[in-house]
Amino acid sequence: MSGDYHGDDDHEHQSAWGPHDWSHGAPHNSWAPIIMSIGIGIFLYTVASAYSWGEMVDPASIPLIFLGLMISFFGMIIWWRQDASFDGIYEPRATGTPFQNIQIRKVAMWMFLMSEMMVFTSLFSTYMRYRLGLTPCVEIYESGSWIVNSQTIDSGEAVNCFLPASELIASSWFHIAPGAINTFALIISSFTIVQALRWAKKPVGSVDEEVRRKRVYRYLGSTWILAIIFLTLKMVEWFVGFYIPEIEFLGLHEHDIVSLVNEGYTIHADHYHPHHGWEDTHLAELAAANPSEFEEYFANIASIEGGYVTTDAVMMADIRVSTSTFFVTTGTHGAHVFIGIIGLTYMTWKAWTGGYTPQNAVSIEYFGLYWHFVDLIWVLVFPFFYLY
Amino acid sequence: MSEHKIFGQDIYWANFIGLMVLTAIEVVAVGSEFSKAMTLFILVGIAIPKFIMIAAIFMHLWGDKDSKILTLTALFPTFFIIVMVLFIGLTHPEATTGLPEWCRPGYYKL
Repeated sequence: MSGDYHGDDDHEHQSAWGPHDWSHGAPHNSWAPIIMSIGIGIFLYTVASAYSWGEMVDPASIPLIFLGLMISFFGMIIWWRQDASFDGIYEPRATGTPFQNIQIRKVAMWMFLMSEMMVFTSLFSTYMRYRLGLTPCVEIYESGSWIVNSQTIDSGEAVNCFLPASELIASSWFHIAPGAINTFALIISSFTIVQALRWAKKPVGSVDEEVRRKRVYRYLGSTWILAIIFLTLKMVEWFVGFYIPEIEFLGLHEHDIVSLVNEGYTIHADHYHPHHGWEDTHLAELAAANPSEFEEYFANIASIEGGYVTTDAVMMADIRVSTSTFFVTTGTHGAHVFIGIIGLTYMTWKAWTGGYTPQNAVSIEYFGLYWHFVDLIWVLVFPFFYLY
Repeated sequence: MSEHKIFGQDIYWANFIGLMVLTAIEVVAVGSEFSKAMTLFILVGIAIPKFIMIAAIFMHLWGDKDSKILTLTALFPTFFIIVMVLFIGLTHPEATTGLPEWCRPGYYKL
């Protein structure tokens, strides 16, 4: 896979912006990372100073926020200018241990991905902690303790409980559908990007160049489309929902699949109600056995039929921890997909113009590493946030 | 890597089919009437091989001449992951209730 089509290190790599001598494995003498770090530092510090609990407390920081952004942007321009003459054919290699003779960019990409892994590990461990540490809302609901403690939406304090998104998403095949289709879309896209790399790397002469161009841009274009599908379905699942028509021979009845937000699964949610076919039998038994404690509950009962109770009482619940962990984790993953789409847009255009050859196919390989990582994270997000 | 075969099939194609099948099993398992513990067991049991298949074959951590050192690089954050998952995610039961009030769920001051 690696190391077949890269130039050597004895190569003058000219740059319009400062020293940039790659000879004999010289390091990339650039000020750009330091300038960007300073800019990002100023930006983060001033943002943190400007706001407190969602309210602006120091308007004087606003110009500094923009200053930080401008310095970061300036650093990026320097970086880009230094590498603008870099056509991707020349590939510097590490000279020291332990990465001797491995492409520097490849090692850097792996380092980056590992730092990303730590970011997602933090999100996962947070989710695990809260998932295991807080009582599930459904358990509290079924126990009936919220009635006894007057934790109803009309009269009391909220119960602090955990409501996993899977309680809504895994409640029917149609609710699972967007997430499941997304999972398949990401796996297919991992396959298509590998195929794009394979075609780009085929040795000159072994394949017609026009065939190479078409194959590479079609595979990259397919990856782009699949990434768009992924984000679109995520928006449908979060905000839009979808409509199921009446299809008699499949036994489908006309109904709407409601989005997570419309189901009330938001960071502002203040109550809990069980979803999709949950039966209130346990609570009915408790209520029947302890009528005095369940006075308020009985006051709200709409009907008792066949041992099941229907009630208008609403359990006041604080589920913001559940929704935050879900939306932050899946949203961070979605942001990575979005960044991937930006990269894929450029790469597909470049492939369309016949820009990929065996000599610079490593660019697809490095992007592919990122894209597979995004798939890898989804392999963990999907079962533990969507299914369980 | 690309010249490798699995069951006589192109390695990327075989890996792709394997991942699709495992994902289908995952979805069906959730739709089936298993207990929570069994469902979790199945999901973990499927996620691990999927994770390895993507890393080893699609990300070329297996079969390339520099796979070994890159695999070690990929394993570098393992210590951090173990600390996070084991000592924050799975233990320290008071993390959600025993911390100072401002650090607990429910304290938003919004």
